[in-house]
Amino acid sequence: MPKTLPDRPAPDCTELERDHAVIRHSHLCILRLTWPQQADDNRRDIVNTLFKLASTSLMSVALFAGPTWAQDQIRTIHLLSRPQAAQPAEFQAVQLIAQEWRKLGLDVEVDVMPWEQLSSEVWYNREDWDVTAWQMTGRPERSDPDEIIYNLFHSSTAESGYNFIGYSNPEYDAVVEKQRVTIDPDKRQELVWKAQEILAKDQPNMMLVHPQQAFAFDKNIWDAASVVNQSGIGIRNTWTWLSLTPKTDQKDIIVNSADNVISVKPLYFSGVTDSWITELIYDRLFRVGPDGLPTLWAAESFEWRDDTTIAVTLRDGMKWHDGAPVTVEDVKFSYETTVGGEAPMYSPFGEGISNIAIEGDNVIVFTLENPSASFVTSSLAKINLIPKHIWEPILADLATKEENAESYQEEMPIGSGPYKFERWITNEEIVLSANEGHFNAPKAERWILRLVPNAEAALGMLRSGEVNFLTDFSGDPQVLIDAAAADGDIEVVSTVDIGFRYVAFNNRRAPFNDPAFRSALSSAVDRRLIVNAAFKGFAVASNSVVSPALEFWHDKSVVDNFKAGTDVAKSILEEAGYTMNGDRLAYPDGVKETLGD
Amino acid sequence: MSTLKPVLSRTFQLMLVLWAVVTILFLMFRLMPGNPLAAYIDPTFTLEQQEQLIRQFGLDKPLLQQYFTYIGNLLQGELGYSFRYRTPVADRIWLLLPNTLILTFSSLIIAYFFGILAGAWLAWHRGSRAEAVALPVVLATRAMPEFWLGMVLLAVFSFSLGIFPAGGTRSPGTEYDSLWALYTSADFLSHLALPMLTLAIYSQGLPLLLMRSNMLDVMKEDFVTMAKVKGLSPYTIVIRHGARNALLPVMTSFAISVGYQLQGNVVVESVFSWPGLGRELVSAVSASDYPLAQGAFLMIAVVVILMNLIADLLYTFLDPRISHA
Repeated sequence: MPKTLPDRPAPDCTELERDHAVIRHSHLCILRLTWPQQADDNRRDIVNTLFKLASTSLMSVALFAGPTWAQDQIRTIHLLSRPQAAQPAEFQAVQLIAQEWRKLGLDVEVDVMPWEQLSSEVWYNREDWDVTAWQMTGRPERSDPDEIIYNLFHSSTAESGYNFIGYSNPEYDAVVEKQRVTIDPDKRQELVWKAQEILAKDQPNMMLVHPQQAFAFDKNIWDAASVVNQSGIGIRNTWTWLSLTPKTDQKDIIVNSADNVISVKPLYFSGVTDSWITELIYDRLFRVGPDGLPTLWAAESFEWRDDTTIAVTLRDGMKWHDGAPVTVEDVKFSYETTVGGEAPMYSPFGEGISNIAIEGDNVIVFTLENPSASFVTSSLAKINLIPKHIWEPILADLATKEENAESYQEEMPIGSGPYKFERWITNEEIVLSANEGHFNAPKAERWILRLVPNAEAALGMLRSGEVNFLTDFSGDPQVLIDAAAADGDIEVVSTVDIGFRYVAFNNRRAPFNDPAFRSALSSAVDRRLIVNAAFKGFAVASNSVVSPALEFWHDKSVVDNFKAGTDVAKSILEEAGYTMNGDRLAYPDGVKETLGD
Repeated sequence: MSTLKPVLSRTFQLMLVLWAVVTILFLMFRLMPGNPLAAYIDPTFTLEQQEQLIRQFGLDKPLLQQYFTYIGNLLQGELGYSFRYRTPVADRIWLLLPNTLILTFSSLIIAYFFGILAGAWLAWHRGSRAEAVALPVVLATRAMPEFWLGMVLLAVFSFSLGIFPAGGTRSPGTEYDSLWALYTSADFLSHLALPMLTLAIYSQGLPLLLMRSNMLDVMKEDFVTMAKVKGLSPYTIVIRHGARNALLPVMTSFAISVGYQLQGNVVVESVFSWPGLGRELVSAVSASDYPLAQGAFLMIAVVVILMNLIADLLYTFLDPRISHA
């Protein structure tokens, strides 16, 4: 029996047979079991065994050759991406990343699959993948960093929540828990920065870019000065739809979307496009303002009575679109409905509210279980106000059925917001009209959303006037800018997004469970390459999940201190004990590949 | 009895074909990669919420049981609920089908009207210079991809010349009291023009070439020679004697063309933002919305199969030489 067999006892074969991933070791175990016992009486077994030995990978042979060769080669890394046709920038970025990683001696294979397949693989089979391209989209409520820095990385959400990468760091957990309950903005800022610094050191994800979104409008029809550029969101936002001032007789804002409208429901988020509509029909107590911070809306004023009690005064004279007055009863009802079981998707936003009480005619008091710094942004600026007289009977009826409020589509949605619902023509358009009695009534007469699946056609429509505010353009931004230059009447505005693109490492699996390895892989790719080649310059390089668009929360130092290049990556690997084994990168001493090909 | 029997046997065959289509559709969507739930279940959902949705969608049942439930519901005219919209599939299909049918039939009628006349004319002018130019042009239109043709027409007639609008069935924000009021409005017709033209150009080749070759055959027949000898005018010979006989196979090809046309609709509806069944099919498939995709496919299959049946039966009545006995 060769002396160089692993020191530890050979694993039990029956156990190994259950785990098909460990094929290489199973050869060794066959060897050990067959050689001493049956060598004399069964020669064929010996021949078989020798044959198997000879045919095992180079790695196994290296094992027998002596301790200097004992380091395990890293298996082929599978990098997941969506198809080029659907996500050209992501696909291009992934190709570039794979190419840079190969320079480190890694064998990288790119697996392309449609979103449905990719998300189900990553989300439901959390143990089974290596690396995947991923994205988080910018939404107004993400203007508060809590949702991203907590949900994406806190160890409590690793099992079935947003921390699908399985990142777990007690120090980090403590920091993000603390920023949640720190009401003082400056102290909280310190903690949010600290969190970003820990992430920069650990590199649980490889941050790529914050894309720049480009939108355009006809400046002959709309006064350019009345367009609001919301921090991290761009000019396509509720504030623009309120302040946009017509210069001509065309008083209809006509916007476009390539995605179908799925539903218009106050208690269900069915898609980004749908939320443009619900944000206009329904009021909230607060709204995320153009500067990214929450601002008073249906609330006239508010007051933190202590760390867990906030009293909100409702604005006077508000009316539902059917003419009934908006009361504090309605507000209470809206929050109770959200927290109740009929709206699962919205209920997390009402989490932590332990009591809702009415004081007098117009004050509503929320008591929280714990202090919550992001409560105003993530709950009060998020939950739609709905009329009790309409929804109470609907909910009573739904309570007896398996369906919940998420399946219920009103024929004529009634809110109290700055725009009223007029009609919805399936797969063609949604028409809203200005609510002139609103406390912040729009300057335009109507807001019309046209559903245009073809990006080139949408651009043509902007030039012909069939659309006068381009809110969705999936084509090359340069094409949009060139078209605007050729036209002369069109103004393009591009803004850095709150959202970001990244490559997620599966922190559960070796070698990605090693921060040094992740850090090396991340450093291997110069983000300028990704920005210029994959995003055609319409993105900013990133090393933090908190976008530079969120000026107050973004920690600039983590981006500035990030060094990239093949040499940087190689030196990190070397320092952490990774060596080359032949032409392939190998684990540090003592670490074995257990997930071999 | 003799006319009823072929109708009955054809109808029976039709049911068989439909059953096969339904079964293949059912299996096809379930064998597609990816978990349909991933597209609908928000990641913030708890496990219980996810399971409740799975139950609502019926995805917790074994495949065979799902299949029988599906067939049973179909027999009662139930197409199920769309995963994505959470509304009955049938409702959405009935909303979108009229737009698709109008686009399909208007473009086919134009294509056939033009194709038949031009085919007859080309047959009469066989060997002329006109034929040398026209035939390659017709073949080229047959080879053009519809989306490309659609984009070219958009660029020329909408974006450059500004004659026709670029998408949808109506100007933004226009309201019509009824479907009839919409379909008879100038606004609708101007929106219909470009997608209709695209599909018409794409599909005129078949009737044109078919008509031409049939005419060439017919023109060799004795009764045409006889007509020529009688000194009848070319118009009378071509239209009264030749075309009538050459027309029969062309008319039956109309029915088959409806099937091809619906296939072309998928692309053209997306290019022209036309709110029809084809575009719905594309978005349902890409979103793994099984019930909706199955419903849309099924509806298209029903139209195609029905048109084939009509073609078959029409043949019997138009041409007594053919019998189904």
